[in-house]
Amino acid sequence: MKKLTASVCMLICISVAYAQKNTNYKFSKLTREDLKAKVYSIDSNANAVILAEVGESHFVGNTKGWFSLSFKKRTRIHILNKNGYNQADIEIPLWTSGSAIEKLEELKAITYNLDNGTVTETKLEKNNVFTEKKSKNLTLKKFTLPNVKEGSIIDIEYIINSDFLQNLQPWSYQGSIPRLWSEYNVFMPEFFEYAFLSQGMQLYFINERKDNSNVFNVVDGNSTSASERFTLNAKVTHHRWVMKDMPALKEESYTSSIENYTSKIDFQLSAFRHPLKYKNIMSNWVEVATKLLDDEDFGKNLSTNNSWLSEVIKPLLEGAHTETEKAKRIFDYVRQNFTSTGYGSIYISQPLKNCLKTKSGRVSDINMLLTAMLRYANIQAEPIILSTKSNGFTYPLYPLLNRFNYVVALAETDGKTIFLDASRQNLGFGKLLPECYNGHARIISKKVPAIEMYSDSLKEKKLTVILIGNDEKGTWVGSIKQAPGYYESYRIRNKIDDKGSDEFFKELKKNIVSDISIKNEKIDSLKKVDLPVEITYDFAVNINNENIIYFNPLFGEGFQDNPFKSLERFYPVEMPYAMDNTIIATIEVPKGYEIDELPKSIRVSLNEQKEGMFEYLASHSNNIISLRTRVHMTRANFDPEEYEGLREFFNMIVSKQKEQIVFKKKTTQP
Amino acid sequence: MIRLSLIIVAISAYCFTNAADIDYNVKNIPKELLQNANAVKRNEKISFEVHSLTSTTYKQKYAFTILNEKGDRFATFLEYYDKLNKINSIEGSLYDGNGKLIKKLKSKEVIDLSAVDDISLIDDNRKKVHSFHHKVYPYTVEYEVEIKYYHTFYFPTWVTQEDEFVAVENSSFTIIHPEQYKVRYHQFNYKGEPKESTEKNIKSITWNISNTKAIKKEPYAPRWHELTTMVKVAPTDFQIENYKGDMSSWKEFGKFMYDLTKGRDVLPDNIKQQVKILTAQATSDVEKISILYHFLQKNTRYISIQLGLGGWQPFEATYVAKKGYGDCKALSNYMYSLLKEVGIKSHYALIKAGAFDNMIMPEFPSNQFNHAILCVPVKNDTIWLECTSQTNPFGYMGDFTGNRKALLITEEGGVVVNTKNYLKEDNLQIRKAVGKIIEDGSLQTSIETKYFSMQQDQLHKLINFLSKDKVKEILQADLGLPTYNIDHFKYTEKKNIKPEIQEDLELYVANYATITGKRLFITPNLLNKSTNKISSEDRVHDLCINYAYKDVDTIEYQIPAGYKTESVPQDIALVTKFGIYNSSIKFIEDKLIYTRTREQYSGRFSNKDYNDLVAYYNEIYKADRNKIVLVKSDQ
Repeated sequence: MKKLTASVCMLICISVAYAQKNTNYKFSKLTREDLKAKVYSIDSNANAVILAEVGESHFVGNTKGWFSLSFKKRTRIHILNKNGYNQADIEIPLWTSGSAIEKLEELKAITYNLDNGTVTETKLEKNNVFTEKKSKNLTLKKFTLPNVKEGSIIDIEYIINSDFLQNLQPWSYQGSIPRLWSEYNVFMPEFFEYAFLSQGMQLYFINERKDNSNVFNVVDGNSTSASERFTLNAKVTHHRWVMKDMPALKEESYTSSIENYTSKIDFQLSAFRHPLKYKNIMSNWVEVATKLLDDEDFGKNLSTNNSWLSEVIKPLLEGAHTETEKAKRIFDYVRQNFTSTGYGSIYISQPLKNCLKTKSGRVSDINMLLTAMLRYANIQAEPIILSTKSNGFTYPLYPLLNRFNYVVALAETDGKTIFLDASRQNLGFGKLLPECYNGHARIISKKVPAIEMYSDSLKEKKLTVILIGNDEKGTWVGSIKQAPGYYESYRIRNKIDDKGSDEFFKELKKNIVSDISIKNEKIDSLKKVDLPVEITYDFAVNINNENIIYFNPLFGEGFQDNPFKSLERFYPVEMPYAMDNTIIATIEVPKGYEIDELPKSIRVSLNEQKEGMFEYLASHSNNIISLRTRVHMTRANFDPEEYEGLREFFNMIVSKQKEQIVFKKKTTQP
Repeated sequence: MIRLSLIIVAISAYCFTNAADIDYNVKNIPKELLQNANAVKRNEKISFEVHSLTSTTYKQKYAFTILNEKGDRFATFLEYYDKLNKINSIEGSLYDGNGKLIKKLKSKEVIDLSAVDDISLIDDNRKKVHSFHHKVYPYTVEYEVEIKYYHTFYFPTWVTQEDEFVAVENSSFTIIHPEQYKVRYHQFNYKGEPKESTEKNIKSITWNISNTKAIKKEPYAPRWHELTTMVKVAPTDFQIENYKGDMSSWKEFGKFMYDLTKGRDVLPDNIKQQVKILTAQATSDVEKISILYHFLQKNTRYISIQLGLGGWQPFEATYVAKKGYGDCKALSNYMYSLLKEVGIKSHYALIKAGAFDNMIMPEFPSNQFNHAILCVPVKNDTIWLECTSQTNPFGYMGDFTGNRKALLITEEGGVVVNTKNYLKEDNLQIRKAVGKIIEDGSLQTSIETKYFSMQQDQLHKLINFLSKDKVKEILQADLGLPTYNIDHFKYTEKKNIKPEIQEDLELYVANYATITGKRLFITPNLLNKSTNKISSEDRVHDLCINYAYKDVDTIEYQIPAGYKTESVPQDIALVTKFGIYNSSIKFIEDKLIYTRTREQYSGRFSNKDYNDLVAYYNEIYKADRNKIVLVKSDQ
């Protein structure tokens, strides 16, 4: 007994200590002072500021014999200038599915203005709330607040009652405008278990939980006889999360997805517990994979006999001996003959047999069919599910399938593991798009191993060889041979498919600033999609008997521009791959001229670990200039702290690669 | 048993003849139609029948052969509808490259979606969409649709080619109407006259074309209706809901619009009071207009709500006063009411707003508008007011509504008038930069630039709609220099009838000059390099240059001590029918002085002039990148 009092006492002490700091936001009556024009120190540029937003999610017993969610939200926004007006346009999505519905209730919205020194309020009228039926399952409630001016404060309050327990409202603490107070309360009964998924770079101001108990009344209105009713007394945990003074989100270049860095919390229903009948909703990866493999819309076709494939596969495999050869033939067949209609889900949108017939389907259809075909040819193959960069990260811990949006295949051939994506005509054997390298991914097999895919592991090697010399007529002529990196080649192939190679070379000519004329332009390996393309052309440099020739030996192939423009950086730099860019030039001095000046050789490292290296080496002997310049990065991802160095590094590259060779007419003509 | 199979044979034979009505085998497409084509319209029959003023029927049957992925968008069926029309039926079939029927549309596959446009909070628009999602090329889709309209406010236009890269094998358009009802039409690039016939007091007019090659749009192309065959039709007498009108002249059409707006100009007392107080001290009409325009800008915002006739009729002034918002019609009507309160007469005006090629055809009165503005005649001048913008300079139209025709809605009816023209002398950009090039090749410079009229449009949006941070971010990325810091920037906006924005920049440019050993390479043109490099081609159509402007750049840089010039580009003076260009470089003491003037004329030029334009633009492109070479004198 004594012990107990002590701990109660402790609790009181703590809560007293808590009360010292301002731990609550009150939606108090607005005064003239509140409405006066002001600049908020969090962001002097803000168009509007969310003074507070407070949300609450409760579980309540419903009349359908089950539970519903009640989500209440109140938001107060100070609109500071005209560009903040759009904050007064509100859109609330409501879902329906069969008899399960979401309903908007108790909507109140008020605009407060300061008119001639007095606070006035204008209420939103009911008949100005519009309903747009977006599609079968989605309705939008839309309204805009009346009388919004610069300086208005708007107050919006509503409740969404939802039959969808899996739709426990998530909460974002950040958005396009700053938020001074963002608070979310979830009252979680012990009989439901949810996984909490929180992310972001900001810390909670308050993160607390309190246990209470509550009575839940559930009525089954559909029951055949009299209404059935049951009452449940259960422990309810009140979770309270508050973030204060949250800056607006800022888009930056070389960011996979701003979503990955937003502070937010999301929920996933994982189990029903006592006193409900125990049921596991979100299981572990092994169980999920087992189910997926048995799912008609995913892996079911992989384990069946699939004799309908024989007609296609038999002729393909004729004369193929090794597993790799077989796999490659099947892959090429699918890649060349199928058209992708898009992606977005890991599930297949049609039976694989149908996909084979129409030769078109979503990425999941095509790569699942590829997996089935490989297996039919006795090659070990599994589907991999992943989330593309723009779709955001996935959690290794929780098997949340709706976070995944892309399927590729994994094959084991001759003891080697290869990734395959046959949904792109121009993507070769064993290649995935940089978009797919987004960290955690899963191989959907019995053991369902996690894999890590990082763009640091992608090397993009580009090599350009330039040769210039004097021909028999004394014209200064040259040739360029270039092998772009694999992904650049992929883009070139797509461009040529789209616009034709004439258009491609037209554009290439447009980008050459020097005074040269180009001929014999050619692009090789266009159809050999496993390899980079090879671009070659010849050119003649126009020299008009000038006394001095200034000449950039790189022909605009180096870096013209610093990819890192802005002075500062908030989020990590995520480049699609680690680049390795080399240019080699061999230049004969033009006839009748001599070298007056050659750029100095240098070699620089980005940091002590040499994760970025730049060299520019120039030398000459016997009238031949040899030049080699290379930018080599060993990583694709960099922290914000490394940004300044990165920007400086590229600044130096741009300036060095712009340097010119100077030739002078020989004074003593032979 | 025998009888049954006979029936089956009979039925399938019937189906077959029906499906083979037209043979969609790709081999039947004439070769020349495949050139530049992503899709070929095989056969199209449109009929539009006027039954009465409140009832018309549109029937369209068409087939597209899709040759490649880029043609896919023509394979999707899409029709809009609202409360004033109804889609009665949709049928569709899919054929493979040999013309063999693969699939027929099932009505449950047609998706019904809301089609509220991006700028509207809410409107009545919905759409029905269908696609076979077929991907084996070539393939053919055939659709047949029937739409019923409950008004005669606008009639369909026969557009034979929806876009470039589409060829047409056959297309026809028929309008059917009671003989006593007059229909007007206007043909574009249609050779000859349509076929007319009358039967039992019903008249029909038919146009048709066949074997039209795909068009590839050229840069500076004329407007689409000059390139393809098109027929516009329009009503004479018409009715929409309970409003009747006559469209055969602008005057009559204007009368109808006037009736729609009439009597919606009553202001609530509190607003009347405010108007009185605000304008009490004003000494001229122009001042009053300006005061009330700023009152409008401060107290209202643009919210588009288009329901029923509301798509054409403005909300009443009281509505705007109470809610503080409205669409272009409501806000123009509100401004009209404010001006009326102080005894200034103005006119509601209809216009086709947007980019340059969105102009109305004054010779063919019909419903061609998408926007409403207000026109205020004042002594010796006219002030045009854009009422949907909270930031627009008073009386300025820009490229949104300037340089075109508008329809004034007056008591006496509609009158077509010209809006403001913005000429080369209006659209100025004057820049002066002074600075110092430092030994390490970097540049420290102050740049003052004044932008006028249409040259300030972009900047106006930038500084009015974006935060200062965002503007800095854009400046930090978009100046076309490799590595630089913005040390300071400032914008001063003068919101006049001819608006002006002054930009002051302090810039540090790392490696502005390239150093190689003892030499310094300088590109004096800092911020105004032409990016327009075009290649010569066999030009088919005339050239239309819509935008006239004048740029003047002066740059004065101190160069580091101890350098002398080694190579200086010659002065350039280009005089062409498209414009003039001058640049010159001088050295005065330790200062490098660069001047550049470019005048661009607008107008229409013959296709034969194209190569001259290419040469002119490419010369400018090159001249803007000319380099000066300095060399250290003590070595």
